[in-house]
Amino acid sequence: MNMQIIAQMVVSGALMGSVYALIAYGFQLTYATSKSINFGQGELVMLSAFFSLTLLNIGVPYWLMVPGGLLFGAALGLLVERAGVRLALQQKSEGWILLTIILGLLGFSSAENIWGRDDRPFPTPISSDALHVFGINITPLEISVAIGVFAIMGLVELFKRKTLLGKAFEAVSADRDAAELMGISATRTIMVSYGLSGMVAAMAGILISPITTVGPTMASALILKAFAVAVVAGLDSGFGVVLIGIVLGALESLTSFYVGSGWREAPGLVLLILALAVRPNGVFGKATIRKV
Amino acid sequence: MLKVEDLHAGYGSSEVLNGVSLHVKPGQLVALIGANGAGKTTTMRAISGMLRPTSGRVLLDGKPAQGMGAARIARIGLAHAPEGRKVFGPLSVEDNLLLGAFSRLPHFFGFHAQAAEELQRVYELFPRLLERRAQAAGTLSGGEQQMLAIARALMAKPKVILLDEPSMGLAPVIVQEVFNIIRRLKEAGITLLLVEQFAKSALEVADYAYVMEHGQIAVAGTPAELNKNEKVLAAYLG
Amino acid sequence: MLKRLLLLRGAEIILLLALAAVPLLVNNTYALGLLTLLAIYGILLIGLDVTVGYLGQVNLAQAAFLGLGAYAAGLAVTTLGLGMLAALSISLLVGLLLGGLLAFPALRLDGPQFALATLSFSALSTTVLNEWESLTSGAQGLSLSRPTWLGLSMDAQGFYWLCLLMLAVVWMVMRNLLGSQWGRAFEALRDSPIATDAMGVGTFRHKVAGFALGSALGGLAGGLYAFNFQYLQPQSFTYDLMVILLLGVVLGGRKSLWGAFFGACLIVLLPNLLSNKFLFELISAAGLLLAVLAGVRAWLRKTAQPFQILAPIVAMALLVVGGLLVENTENWRKAIFALMLFSVVVGLPDGVMGYVAKLLTKLLRVPPAEIAATASLDSVLPVRQGDAAIQLELQNLQRHFGGVKAVDGISLTVRAGQVHGLIGPNGSGKSTAVNVISGLYAPSGGEIRLLGKRLPSGSLFKVAREGVSRTFQNLQLFGELTALDNVMVALKGVYRTPLPLVLLGFGRAEEQRAQAEAMALLELVGLKAQARMAAKDLTYGAQRFLEIARALARKPVLLILDEPAAGLAHPDVQVLIALIKAIHARCITVILIEHHMDVVSELCDVVTVLDGGKVIAAGVPDEVKRDPKVIKAYLGVVQEAVSPEAADGKEVPAC
Repeated sequence: MNMQIIAQMVVSGALMGSVYALIAYGFQLTYATSKSINFGQGELVMLSAFFSLTLLNIGVPYWLMVPGGLLFGAALGLLVERAGVRLALQQKSEGWILLTIILGLLGFSSAENIWGRDDRPFPTPISSDALHVFGINITPLEISVAIGVFAIMGLVELFKRKTLLGKAFEAVSADRDAAELMGISATRTIMVSYGLSGMVAAMAGILISPITTVGPTMASALILKAFAVAVVAGLDSGFGVVLIGIVLGALESLTSFYVGSGWREAPGLVLLILALAVRPNGVFGKATIRKV
Repeated sequence: MLKVEDLHAGYGSSEVLNGVSLHVKPGQLVALIGANGAGKTTTMRAISGMLRPTSGRVLLDGKPAQGMGAARIARIGLAHAPEGRKVFGPLSVEDNLLLGAFSRLPHFFGFHAQAAEELQRVYELFPRLLERRAQAAGTLSGGEQQMLAIARALMAKPKVILLDEPSMGLAPVIVQEVFNIIRRLKEAGITLLLVEQFAKSALEVADYAYVMEHGQIAVAGTPAELNKNEKVLAAYLG
Repeated sequence: MLKRLLLLRGAEIILLLALAAVPLLVNNTYALGLLTLLAIYGILLIGLDVTVGYLGQVNLAQAAFLGLGAYAAGLAVTTLGLGMLAALSISLLVGLLLGGLLAFPALRLDGPQFALATLSFSALSTTVLNEWESLTSGAQGLSLSRPTWLGLSMDAQGFYWLCLLMLAVVWMVMRNLLGSQWGRAFEALRDSPIATDAMGVGTFRHKVAGFALGSALGGLAGGLYAFNFQYLQPQSFTYDLMVILLLGVVLGGRKSLWGAFFGACLIVLLPNLLSNKFLFELISAAGLLLAVLAGVRAWLRKTAQPFQILAPIVAMALLVVGGLLVENTENWRKAIFALMLFSVVVGLPDGVMGYVAKLLTKLLRVPPAEIAATASLDSVLPVRQGDAAIQLELQNLQRHFGGVKAVDGISLTVRAGQVHGLIGPNGSGKSTAVNVISGLYAPSGGEIRLLGKRLPSGSLFKVAREGVSRTFQNLQLFGELTALDNVMVALKGVYRTPLPLVLLGFGRAEEQRAQAEAMALLELVGLKAQARMAAKDLTYGAQRFLEIARALARKPVLLILDEPAAGLAHPDVQVLIALIKAIHARCITVILIEHHMDVVSELCDVVTVLDGGKVIAAGVPDEVKRDPKVIKAYLGVVQEAVSPEAADGKEVPAC
């Protein structure tokens, strides 16, 4: 058991895990205001990645592509809210589960046909030459992923805590009726939450594309992991997702190395089912009071 | 300032309000009293938009407001401190207050400066809230939460404040405090519609009062007139 | 009665015979293959419908159970050399056990978490099937040959008849199950899990049973699938298939065996539909037409939101236009399914068969099912011993929410056979106290004893089992169920037939008895004529009375009525008073939370007054009403002579 190899596995796995955390973070945004999440979020990540790739291919410079991709993600998020979520929320049903799944499917099929089924490389100006830090190989690309993840999470937290609209967010999730009485439109707040969530997903897509390449199925495995992280940490756990994401990423890396690459998916899935069995509200989640 | 004409509203197939009409003049404190189940809270909710009326009119400063959603009605100048207070538990006291002014503050940055003046006014009225400004609202006692709910409504600098059962669930001593605050608000010229279970306390501060029974206004008049009215007592115990 | 039986059972028998006769009339192996697949998917979808239709959850694991059942059967044959019967039993069992195992964690929470758990299970299954190559041969696939059935080898025709037979058996068994108290329980817990628990019907155990059953059927279908294709690959059982299954169930119609069948037809014919462009365009155009017609109808009647009307039209239009523009519809398979499913979920929530069933019922004038003759009330609610012994005791009960002390040290005693009023101003803690007693909340402190024994805390189900029954301040009816069904869900002591016998159809006699008892209760509350109406369609007053009838079905030791008069019009209040007197006459102990003073005075033997979470007075109503503390709490004024309620001489009958 070479400690160095283990450390290597853990670090690269943790970096991947931070992306899971990022997407899980996006789930929390919509769950907070509306108790709903986009089951087609994986397709949203993938479509934003493809869009960003297309931007690069038609000559848009890298630094311009990023906001372009983020805006596209936000727009998709708004579309999901309008077409898949709003009606169900109005009817106080959970029809959005099925509807967001359907929209994701539509997105997947469109991507397959517009961009084809093959995986494509995603060009990036950041180098992939490994640096040696404390005996571990780590590329600037991987570091940029970590920076990107924390940067955007930080931005969103800043929004939530320092802007009035962000506080309104919290208010709508705490007590929707009372928030309306303050002049805060719950519908608009939920729209914003979905736009933000889409933006976060797009960021995740842009960050991992250079590493995983871009293809219709790029996010399907990713999204399951993100779900696992969101549920295990708790859909209202704030930064708990970061911890769980990193742990999961590291676990996967180790499993892949020691048990076999095909089994990579297993820890996340098993963890999810176990977590639901033991702590349905999540490790860091809060219990709710029932009202009759 | 606030005029309600022949308002009908209900939940599902049951109609609770059968034609409620009332009038609050600027600067007045009008009380809406009556036994439980008479429809007082339903009336408030129908006015503020939490409940959509089936027919009738609500006029705020002359402009029709019935049928608009609660958020819009709040934005045109009606503040409702709801029954049960409904403060935002996980948010701090100060955040709750800032949100009270949401409709007139910039949504992103710069709101602290714009809200400063009103915040100071509110803290002067409610020193206990100043003490606890950074505390989570859910940890406050019932009486403090009621203060917060009233203060939150004030922050909007509204044309009319609807106060729904401010004394509910509070110890008598605290209720006294709350009514002192209400008196001070009235002295400051704020227009108030007050719903209360405690007829006597409400009548002590009100300029005018309506007594509700079975979804309608049964009696109306000045406190002096009503105190002598036997029907008022009957409406309470019957 | 005979007409109804004839029409319903007749239709089923005709279908079965028609399907069975096909291979005898037509000599086409391709058609035979399709029909075999139809039977298999029929079983699969019936299983899926249990969770999706009856329990109302999005179940994403059914394709996985198909795969697991298939591999189980395949391995049983290849490694254990078992015959078909044994192998199929194994696949059924695998589905049942794994389903039950998954249900435990997955069903503790509803909605999205459940969907996620099933999704993860599905992905996990695929991983295991792919990676455990020593067992399953992984992605290379598992080949097997169709085994013998009790020694007889089967050709394609024989196998088809076996599948058809299985479908018929499953159909019959499920019909029996879903028409019994189990089916009612499934629907009840979908409409109001809180009320289901409070009526002593364990929400959790029923959810697990329903899910395990659906998975068992998935497993069985898997076994048949394996013997049909005789070759298995893990990638056949993934998410893609799951979406198609959902499409089948939703489009066909939820909560309907016929719907599941129709959905199965759709799934089986889908590949043909897609490859034939002309047929595709035809059906899309038909769908568009339907969407427009339905939309116009809904718009005129104002029964739907604008989005509900427009979205299906847009989706179907996309299908029509897309089909014309696109070269190869096969490539756009998923998008096509998505658009179809979208239209149906938004615009036709009952599915095709749901709509057709309503239409046919009207056209053919199918009479509704007969209801059993009403039982005598004495047999349902026998008069109890009203010896005024101590029934319920609260000792220093506490319940806090954050900083708010909703219940702050309440002690009281409720005696058998009495109507005990619990009154107080808004926010005084009455409802909270009662919510703690009934088990919705666990107490923060203090003790509750029923007949001397400590009541379980924090579990509506456990408290209900001890004989406590209640109504709710905000109605918790099973909206989609009929009034009769609402009461039948809660009936205690009638359903004794064990589950296996119910499946075989031996539960009919007790169903009749249950109906008779439920009708007696409906008669008591004056709702006998509305027995067949859906609870959500009743008037508000009727709904309140229905909740009381349902609570009485528990034959409770203690009945809690939480503001039963709330929102009632004056005449209904009088009916309520008479009803509670009738209940009192049977010496059933009642805790009554009320505001209406006239109700309290007329009905209560004893009254406890709360204020600010504490008891401020207790005693006989007349005394309590004159207690200055009480008057102050209610009116805020200390008054001398408050005229007592005009006693109209009606005494509350002693017990």
